Amino acid sequence: MAEATERRIKIAFEVNGGAVEQDVAPEVALIDLLRDGLLLKGVKRSCDMQVCGACTVLVDGAPVSSCTVPAFEVRGKRVLTIEGLAADEALTYISDAFIDNAALQCGFCTPGMVLAAKSLLDANPSPTEADIKDYMRGNICRCTGYKKIVEAIQEAGRIARDGARS
Amino acid sequence: MTQQTYTTVGQPVRRIDGVDKVSGRAEFAVDVVVPGMAYGKLVPSPLPHALITSIDASRARALPGVYAVLTGAELVNMETHYGSDKKDRPIVAMGKVRFQGEPVAAVAAVDLQTAEAAAELIEVEYEELSAASDIASALADGAVPIHDSNWCHEYGYEWGDVDEAFKGCDRIYEDTFTFPMVYHYAMEPHSCVASFEGDRLRVWTSAQHPFLVRAELARIFRLQLDEVQVIVPYVGGGYGSKSYTKIEPLVMALSREAGRPVRLAQSVEESMKTVRRHAAKATVRTGVMNDGTFVARECLSYVDTGGYTDNGVRVTERISDRIVGPYMFDHVRVKSYGIYTNSTPAGSYRSIGGPQASWACESATDIIAADLGIDPIALRLKNLAKKGDELRRGKRPLEGDLAPKLRLVLDEFGWDSYLPVAPDPAHPNIKRGIGFAASVTNSGASPTSTSLVRFHADGSATVYIGTTEIGQGSRSAMAQVAAEELRIPLESIKVIGSDTDVVPYDRSTGSSRSTTLMGLAVHDAAVDVREQLMQLAAGHFETFADQLEASAGQVSFKGESITFGGLVREMFGGSGGELMGRGYVTSNHASGMLHDDPVFWEVSIGAAEVEVDEDTGAVRLLRYVSAADPGKAINPKQVEGQDEGAAMQAIGHTMFEEMLFEDGQFLNPNLVDYRVPTFMDLPDEFETVLIEFGDGPGPYGSKGVGEGGIVAVAPAIANAIFNATGVRVRDLPLTPERVWRAIDAARRGS
Amino acid sequence: MKPFRLYEPTTINETVSTLRDLGDGAKLYAGGTELLLAMKSGLLQYDGLVNVKQVPELDGLAVEDNVLSVGARATHSTVEHADEVLSDFPLIARVEHGVANVRVRNVGTIAGNLCFAEPHSDPGALLLLYEAEVDIAGPGATRSVGIEELVVGPYETSLAPDELLTQVRVKGFPEGMRGTYLKFGYHHRPTLGIGAAVRVEDGVFADVRLTLGSVSPMPMRLRASEDVLRGERLDSTTARARAGELAADVCDAIDDLHGTAEYKHHLVSVFIGRALTEAIERGER
Repeated sequence: MAEATERRIKIAFEVNGGAVEQDVAPEVALIDLLRDGLLLKGVKRSCDMQVCGACTVLVDGAPVSSCTVPAFEVRGKRVLTIEGLAADEALTYISDAFIDNAALQCGFCTPGMVLAAKSLLDANPSPTEADIKDYMRGNICRCTGYKKIVEAIQEAGRIARDGARS
Repeated sequence: MTQQTYTTVGQPVRRIDGVDKVSGRAEFAVDVVVPGMAYGKLVPSPLPHALITSIDASRARALPGVYAVLTGAELVNMETHYGSDKKDRPIVAMGKVRFQGEPVAAVAAVDLQTAEAAAELIEVEYEELSAASDIASALADGAVPIHDSNWCHEYGYEWGDVDEAFKGCDRIYEDTFTFPMVYHYAMEPHSCVASFEGDRLRVWTSAQHPFLVRAELARIFRLQLDEVQVIVPYVGGGYGSKSYTKIEPLVMALSREAGRPVRLAQSVEESMKTVRRHAAKATVRTGVMNDGTFVARECLSYVDTGGYTDNGVRVTERISDRIVGPYMFDHVRVKSYGIYTNSTPAGSYRSIGGPQASWACESATDIIAADLGIDPIALRLKNLAKKGDELRRGKRPLEGDLAPKLRLVLDEFGWDSYLPVAPDPAHPNIKRGIGFAASVTNSGASPTSTSLVRFHADGSATVYIGTTEIGQGSRSAMAQVAAEELRIPLESIKVIGSDTDVVPYDRSTGSSRSTTLMGLAVHDAAVDVREQLMQLAAGHFETFADQLEASAGQVSFKGESITFGGLVREMFGGSGGELMGRGYVTSNHASGMLHDDPVFWEVSIGAAEVEVDEDTGAVRLLRYVSAADPGKAINPKQVEGQDEGAAMQAIGHTMFEEMLFEDGQFLNPNLVDYRVPTFMDLPDEFETVLIEFGDGPGPYGSKGVGEGGIVAVAPAIANAIFNATGVRVRDLPLTPERVWRAIDAARRGS
Repeated sequence: MKPFRLYEPTTINETVSTLRDLGDGAKLYAGGTELLLAMKSGLLQYDGLVNVKQVPELDGLAVEDNVLSVGARATHSTVEHADEVLSDFPLIARVEHGVANVRVRNVGTIAGNLCFAEPHSDPGALLLLYEAEVDIAGPGATRSVGIEELVVGPYETSLAPDELLTQVRVKGFPEGMRGTYLKFGYHHRPTLGIGAAVRVEDGVFADVRLTLGSVSPMPMRLRASEDVLRGERLDSTTARARAGELAADVCDAIDDLHGTAEYKHHLVSVFIGRALTEAIERGER
């Protein structure tokens, strides 16, 4: 039979391009490691049940619900939070498109929304309106009514295809 | 101001908090960390209605790491109840619980895990009372009173002679409509960090009205206003769910017990058990002539205010104020009652009473039109109030014509040229139709705002506003107004908000009031500074102020110029100094526009095209055209965004949102079981018509828009379903089952 | 969430022995998208979770001889995007794409979905349409069962506490048969799912398969409905109506947030008809 891991598991992983080592108990959710352990407060907890997407972070490029994914699951992986996206000049065209299109209001869903948009554009650089709605349907916004977010993602896609703005 | 072209106002500038929010830097109450902070956990009542016979917190208090447990017994040397109109809400339950989820105790501990463990060790004994989930059971014989009775408030008004007038009418229509309990779902649940420091209080909270919270806390803890500091960072959604005072007194009392700051961050479930929108049942009786003239209207409404009053008094009144619609009646009698039930307390939510009233009124309009054989638009235009009409006797007359505004929406929608689509023979169950609704609601905006502008020695400025930034873009709009009046670039303006120790008084953020009223205060404060600069410049150039020109940060006279900063430095004789400008907004404002109530009428118009699958009842929203009527849009993109967001929330309460209670048990207090709109619910075409007639009392002829978009959606969609299928549904939400049952019943002729 | 111990076996045998030794207090954990939610809310509690994601034997996705084999570690995303699934089992790719949202699909496994046995779910009803089988490892020999034998009730499987599902094997539809899957609902989880596969000969249903999900407490094969359709003309409205009635009789629908049993019975009838038409006109493999 497999032995139980220690009460705290040593994990090594990458966050926003930087190497990190942490000791985490198995039941600690990724969001709490990020917010409380690493003080990356951009990721937000809202529904806490994988429905709303406010807690979205990218793990090896794939969006996951950090409210539910255990922290130990990112060992050996690359995590991207909104802070990492904001610090990467090559990626700010996405968040700029959000601001230019008024695709945010209160801002609470925005970190998750922008990261989800990035992963969509990575998978599909020319998404149709239907593609955008379908991919993003797991990210909820209560302020904007979604239309301007669709427009922002369409603009970000155009910018990416025509060459990123300086 | 009558200036037609503006430098900053009217531009869709990038919102000034945009970079903070897209980078994750923006701080919300739940992000605030205070040294020595403890973590709070609520102990909710599992029962909807019960007497508390005992609370034993001894095992919890003994748990290592627990600093304090708060129960009703600890509320000593302080006021114990709070509330905006009726102070009927105990800070923590005292002797009785009135809804499932009501906090009975609260724990403060070294970390959340300890607090949760301690919460489970608290033993509460109850004597259960029978619970009333809805208005009918609350008013039934033998219902156990939730307060002294189950009647919270009563309101009404009348004019003319309704009974006599009905006798002379060709036809009389009477219908009853119901509106569900719905939840705001602000994505940031209620949270605060409260610090009781003996002779002063500090609280960081996700709240919309910091000054009202300050007043409430000062009263509760018997302190002066200057001894209470309320700080509101960015708010992750409000929509009214964070109006007035919610969890701050509880967390502050807990902090007092614990002897250290305490953070309470609620879950979505806990916030669904904190506040909601009032459910309503409204009966509308209308007397008309065969030619469609509206003669008399009688309305009776009941609103379900839950276990405590919260904003129940005002909602009871507003539904009555709004239910007569945008139409002129010579004879009116309106009555409404607020009723307590054993459910989450109901408070403010975007256009209080508005969606409920319009659901009834605008459905009724189309019922009448269909029966009389009159086009529903023609019927509306025939009876629509005009500019200057006293829509409600004793209130401000309507300040702008409505007909041209309806026309703008109808034209954008293509209403007149819409050709009914014949059902595809291969799919006879799929039907299409169009529907329309219009409403005018008396804004609750109250003229009580002040602002301060500090003009610095380098020509930059700081603007202080009490308005909370809940997403509506108030910081940006105020910056634009200030930039316009100070004649400096937007980039030279910093806006400081919502810390009661720092910014001057503003009553509240809600009721669509901020651009209009705080905007006027900011406008006046900026003008105050500009006039001081002009006086300094007059001295500098040794001439009269009216000979001078000020623009782009400098004053010019006969080919010479001096920067604003230069004037300030000259005044103080060195490299520093500053000017201060202030703005006061009261009902006696110099513009003369704020005397009457309401400060403005907020317009709501919507046109919808739907596709109904008669076999399943599923309704697809093909097109929706809304209207935003800001008078003058300070930031057009932000105005559109507010309108689109409001309309989407309305799509929620129209199509599927409903909080379900059974015998007081809350069945769906989470996001899986409470369905809010997603990207998939976007209509194929979704437009907002921006209406700018300059007919508002705010700066540049502006007025509020945040609430208009949520009001017309439900009746427009139901009217479209009627147009498509011939079937009328009078209850929301229009779930597929509800629509299917109505169609099925009509088919079977029952 | 309450503390738990984590166990990380690296072979199937080790997984089985770990489960056996820990007994009731432990649970298999793969994606955790449903399990962890239940644990967070306190509905379920386990002292130990046995992580199967460190077991390479549970990897793998391949199509061979018209059979799709999916290891227990495969996420919905993996299945949805796999070239072999897109080309040879496009219906599965399409339905997998409709599961929950992209984040759940990136983490949740198809095997875990079957084992959690949430009634309001699609994969089980879809795989039942293919007469898929699952391989189960335990202390004894590996055994294989169909979906109906696996999922025996709401949130209930026939797995013993020391067994784990290692692989899902999906046989492609027989020659000439094409299928579809329609779902309905506006909630986060589906209200109804109907799988229909047909083989048409001379304007008649030569063979029919019908499955039901979400309305019933577990994925259900509608055999009585299939029987009244077999041999009938494709356009026979009486046969379809009768199939709908028989399905309503057996589906064990209850009143819940998704609607009343009466409405669900009605939906079952409607969607059986629609799924048959869709399968006939636009059925996929």
